[in-house]
Amino acid sequence: MSPAQDLPPAQPEPPEPSEPPGPEHPTKGLDETVHQRHRLGILTITAEAQRAEFGYLREALGLTPGNLSKHLTVLEQAGLIEVEKGYAGRRPRTWVRITAAGRAALAAELATLTELLRRHTAV
Amino acid sequence: MGDRKSEQAGLLAELKALRRRVRTERHAYWFPLVLFGLLTCASVPFYVLPGRPGAGFRPGRPALPILGGWPGVTVQGFAGYYWLAALLGGLLLTLLWYRRNAGRVGLATPARGYVVTTAVLTVLALVIPPLSQVRSPRRLSWLQHLHVLWPGDLVLRGTFPFVIIAAGLWVLAWAERSRALTVIAAVYTATALLASLYDIENVLFRLGWHSSGSDLDLTSLPNVLLPALVLLAAGAGAFAGQRRHRTST
Repeated sequence: MSPAQDLPPAQPEPPEPSEPPGPEHPTKGLDETVHQRHRLGILTITAEAQRAEFGYLREALGLTPGNLSKHLTVLEQAGLIEVEKGYAGRRPRTWVRITAAGRAALAAELATLTELLRRHTAV
Repeated sequence: MGDRKSEQAGLLAELKALRRRVRTERHAYWFPLVLFGLLTCASVPFYVLPGRPGAGFRPGRPALPILGGWPGVTVQGFAGYYWLAALLGGLLLTLLWYRRNAGRVGLATPARGYVVTTAVLTVLALVIPPLSQVRSPRRLSWLQHLHVLWPGDLVLRGTFPFVIIAAGLWVLAWAERSRALTVIAAVYTATALLASLYDIENVLFRLGWHSSGSDLDLTSLPNVLLPALVLLAAGAGAFAGQRRHRTST
């Protein structure tokens, strides 16, 4: 995942003429906090492991330490991840763990993206 | 709209690839496979009996019948104690291995469920026989109902520890989210059940292998060596695959 490829903020799309009236447009399901490429990456990685180390996240997402810290702070304040600090021998290590709310938010975001893609393909 | 569509498709594909990469990089299950394969090989002396089959049979209930079978029938007397130590020691080493791997790779696998499952089954195998025999006061009479947990004929050949290992592998496959390990768990479970319920020597006899004529009774060996072979082959394959992936990345 290359750096500096943030998605634009989630905005509701204008209604399309061919779209039948009915349930809400899927973009309403996009979460501003989660709908960002690197934050989605962090949630995806932490959802696949019991916990992920700061260095692994930085390398896998191609982020600087400062940039990754900012994204982690946003996700932590939203209650989507938990950050644990500890030591491996004398070396300090930071571990990131996804919360139940984080798993739900990731699942909702992926479902919304899949639905949007399905709609665009159908049009 | 086409740009947005390709952007969304690209993002979903990236996340899918990222998930696959993380999953592959945290896999470390070759170690418990090889470890329990080696522990099974090390148990071979307990399954070699002197003289003709059944010569060492001692009537009465053995100390650890679920873990060690019936001494003298297909297995020697200390097999139960060996397996108790091997299962618990193997679990401890596996837990340490996963901790070390998490520190090295930067991704932790939730191996606690695997350890707890195998440890609980081992402890149950240890305590069910004595508890179900206890002549207890009325308020503890429920202990006698523990005999419903008795695994029946699976214990006769002293190979029930293989079934415990197999149960643990299913939990580990779930924790590792690995299809390959699920297949390995299925093959090993089938092998463990076969080794517990059937004398594999019968098949080898038809193929021309005769264990008789020796001072030692080797008829139980195929039932031990086949599950060990499955674990060692699967562990070696997993090790090679995980090493190849690390080298390529």
